[in-house]
Amino acid sequence: MADTTFPKHKVLPWPAVPIPTPDEVYAGMTDQAKEYPLSLEKQLRQSENFKKPENLTTVRVLDLSKGMIIGNWASSMLSELGADTIKCEPPDGDPLRWQTPFGRKEYMFKDAETGEPIGLHFLHEMRNKRSVTLNLEKPEGRELLKKLAVHVDVLIENYPPGQFDAWGIGYRQLKEINPRLVYCWVGQKGQWGPSKDKPGNLDPTAQAACGFVHGTGLPKEFGGRPTRSALWVADQVGGTSAAIGILAALLYRDKVSGRGQFIEATAAEAIIRILDYNWGWYGFDGSIRPRYGNWDLAINIYAVNPCKDGYFMVGGGHDRLWYRIWRTVGQTRPDLEDEILDDKALRAVTARLPHLRQVKTYTVLADWQKDHSRADAMHHLLAQQVASGGVNYIDEVAEDPHFKYRGHVDEIEDRLYGKVLYGTSPAIASECPGRLKWIGRPLGYDNEEIFLRLLGIGPSDLAQLKKHGVV
Amino acid sequence: MAINQGLVLTCAKCSTKNFLDPYPFWNFSGNTKCAGCDTIYAVSFVKGQQTSGPTPGSGKTDLLPGYAEDKTGTPITGDKIRPAPQARPDPFSGKQKHIKQSLRGKPVSGSPLKKEDLVGSRARFIADLHKA
Amino acid sequence: MATPDFETYCQQLFDHKTAAGKPEVLKGIRVLSCTQYILGPSCAAYLAELGAEVIKVETPRRGEPMRHTTPFNEPLLFPLSRWVPEAGTGLGFFGANTNEEFITLDFHRPEAKAAMLELASKVDVFVQNFRPGTFDRWGMGYQHLSKVNPRLIYQWLGGFGGWGPGRVRASYDILGQAMGGAFGITGEAADRGGTPAKHTIWLADYWGGMMAAVTILAALYWRDTVSGKGTFIEYSQVHGVQRLLEYSLPLYGRYGIRRERWGNWDTELCPHGIVQCGKSSYPSSQNPQEKEVGYILVTAHTDEDFKKLCDVIGAKDLATKFAKHDERVKAENQGFIYDAIEAWAKDKTKEDVAALLDKAGINNQPVWNAKEVSEHPHWKLRGAVQWYDDPIYGDLHHQGPAFKMSETPPRLKWALKPVGADNERVYGRLLGWSKSKLAKMEEMEVI
Repeated sequence: MADTTFPKHKVLPWPAVPIPTPDEVYAGMTDQAKEYPLSLEKQLRQSENFKKPENLTTVRVLDLSKGMIIGNWASSMLSELGADTIKCEPPDGDPLRWQTPFGRKEYMFKDAETGEPIGLHFLHEMRNKRSVTLNLEKPEGRELLKKLAVHVDVLIENYPPGQFDAWGIGYRQLKEINPRLVYCWVGQKGQWGPSKDKPGNLDPTAQAACGFVHGTGLPKEFGGRPTRSALWVADQVGGTSAAIGILAALLYRDKVSGRGQFIEATAAEAIIRILDYNWGWYGFDGSIRPRYGNWDLAINIYAVNPCKDGYFMVGGGHDRLWYRIWRTVGQTRPDLEDEILDDKALRAVTARLPHLRQVKTYTVLADWQKDHSRADAMHHLLAQQVASGGVNYIDEVAEDPHFKYRGHVDEIEDRLYGKVLYGTSPAIASECPGRLKWIGRPLGYDNEEIFLRLLGIGPSDLAQLKKHGVV
Repeated sequence: MAINQGLVLTCAKCSTKNFLDPYPFWNFSGNTKCAGCDTIYAVSFVKGQQTSGPTPGSGKTDLLPGYAEDKTGTPITGDKIRPAPQARPDPFSGKQKHIKQSLRGKPVSGSPLKKEDLVGSRARFIADLHKA
Repeated sequence: MATPDFETYCQQLFDHKTAAGKPEVLKGIRVLSCTQYILGPSCAAYLAELGAEVIKVETPRRGEPMRHTTPFNEPLLFPLSRWVPEAGTGLGFFGANTNEEFITLDFHRPEAKAAMLELASKVDVFVQNFRPGTFDRWGMGYQHLSKVNPRLIYQWLGGFGGWGPGRVRASYDILGQAMGGAFGITGEAADRGGTPAKHTIWLADYWGGMMAAVTILAALYWRDTVSGKGTFIEYSQVHGVQRLLEYSLPLYGRYGIRRERWGNWDTELCPHGIVQCGKSSYPSSQNPQEKEVGYILVTAHTDEDFKKLCDVIGAKDLATKFAKHDERVKAENQGFIYDAIEAWAKDKTKEDVAALLDKAGINNQPVWNAKEVSEHPHWKLRGAVQWYDDPIYGDLHHQGPAFKMSETPPRLKWALKPVGADNERVYGRLLGWSKSKLAKMEEMEVI
């Protein structure tokens, strides 16, 4: 039960600082200078979203995934673009629903109708989706799934490899029932191969198996360890890949073949795809990419280093920016500027790359940064047109005027869950922007409606199914 | 211009500049060792600010500098400084590495070419591989 | 469980070696990629993997800056271009320009503008990641090109977008990671002496390109099944990173609680974390990457699995004290469990640990380095990493596409080509340029 005195500290409503107005944002600019950004705003502002159509209005998605965020993420990509998305959970719910950081029940939100708690990770990805339940362990549940499959364009599942096939509801079986079905399996490492998924493999399994963990974090020589992402990031990237595959399959079906197909998207392979030169470098001469902390193996200056009130990123791989960075540093520390500019060994861009040169560069830079806050350092460097910025904490992300103004972060007043702060869809477009309609959904909330509308099963029959543990 | 004492530790004895890199030394209290003359220095940093030292001392070294240059600006390497991360057994030179074969011994165009080496936009020795 | 032949069925269906014999989704779709670095280029590359005809436009002679980016200066592929054969393309270019055709064009020249407008009238998708407003000033913004080609899907990508208080800021991938919030929550916890950690992948850039590819494909779907109209799409990479933050945002919004770093452990499940194994898997290797001790992910968060784990590691007191997940997962308790696992693993390699956990039926995943991944039969079989015979550069090792499709698989054809390698073909084919016109433009360094 939630602690009614939680939280004990005073919580400011969001936004704590009002969102700037266009007049404030473009103050002091000539009409001509304002023309371009304002013309963009006219096409792109999210306040206009609901006046515009949705790309995927004609598409219906059935998401049967559970326990991993990869399936939820993939279906979110589609639901944000207008697909009618049904999340189909086991009768006791997707396990993600009940998870909460450190087991803290007080973090969970409750819906206004039933008071059912919902974990915030699941809530954030349960967007624009309905919730139905089906017990696939029972043959009757599987029969109902086959009936549902007739009505959907896309099916997403992440069960252990071969499980659906053994149950008679895999791709091979469902394509006979609905040849137009786009069937997508998502997982960590795959349905086939010597190291295929076992039940219970969860991100960061994929992160560890693909080289990501090995390559992230401070080097051993700095006292560091291989590090996972705070996020289930392999799932998020894998889910995005799945969405690309699903959209590609829909395109092909509706323009060419009239048929669906089988898609397999793994979290590990999505990350392998984007581990840029790991594989090329290995094949070149057997190099095993080392982790390099917050510095870069291929560009100097391009790093995050500590500063007075946190951590700070500076970028300047070209000469032009290199000199501007040191000029900025020299404003208060001419001794440091001289140290760098006097060093002949740092003259050539490529000569700045070896590790020892980077140690020198960043020790000198950090000696300047130690006296500057992130805001202060950014202010000075931006004046020299050097891209830089602080490592933001979550509250800073939520309150940054730019992000608020552009609606990267927004608050919805959800009918069931109240005010919810969330990350908005980055699909900003003039024709068919992505959007949020609702966030979170109690378990099985839409059983009655969906079972009646799609399967012609009325309330008393549904009650019987529930009694027999089928839903 | 001499550098103010801080993360760059200029040795009072031999004028070697010891670069105390910002991640390991940012919040550090203990002994480091001058890469030029082996003098032990006790130093303390809190959030990168030097709170005490560098005081010549004795005892064991807790952490070596990340890099150092002697008073002429010549790099000091080897075991006087902490090792660099490496991708292979041989340390990085920072120079281009020119190869003619991939890891598995097959031809690859990994070395500079001259115009006369080219057929169109590719090396002749690669084009020749595909000749019937 | 599975019918015996399901795995074989999948292997046959998704075999990357048969991909070339299967149709391509984006056949007939043409993309112009006026992009640099990774964010913009990768977006177009994902479309090229699906069979789109993608034309990459670069600066004459030396190409775009990412070609001059390579780890520690070392690996390069030659020639950079037929004009500059003594220089090479760095491996930073890998992965972001797959399967494309490469032409050159100097945007600043008036002759270039005419060529660009002509090209843009013939493409379905136009991708650019220059500073907001730049292409508009050159007469090549969406407002201009959509008049010539109303079916055009115009994708802009960048750091902060073209409107709003921060619109003029240039951006980089790790700046997006940092300002977007993913950086600050990753890495060892502060009270264990940790610091924020950068994701080793160019997350904001490469995954950002994927997110933009999603919107492009959705826009193509809408255009070609319903509307017949193009669209302008703006992707801000810092926006993308913020979308990744999941529970951090609603938690902060309602309760004012700020998510902090939690290192290699999981905030929601315990144990589900990466621990150190005290022994190196390759103690006699000369490569420091191999000599380093091993690490492994241990997943035993169900009560049943946790009990099994405690039996294996001989931690009976923990089995009693933390029998319930609600107890284990508490912030103040997790450390005891991971410390116990690490103490047990102190004299073992990650393979030793994996074998013992496998025997007990406990999920685990060793942390593999780039060599272990490259040489692992699982990834090789699946084509996640593959050697391929490049017609220009020779024997290259490269990543395969991120996902698999049974009928119309994405595929790797080539990783890259030299700057301007396809000038004659593309300008001749699309704009009808004669040999002499090409030579003239080349001489003037317009191309």
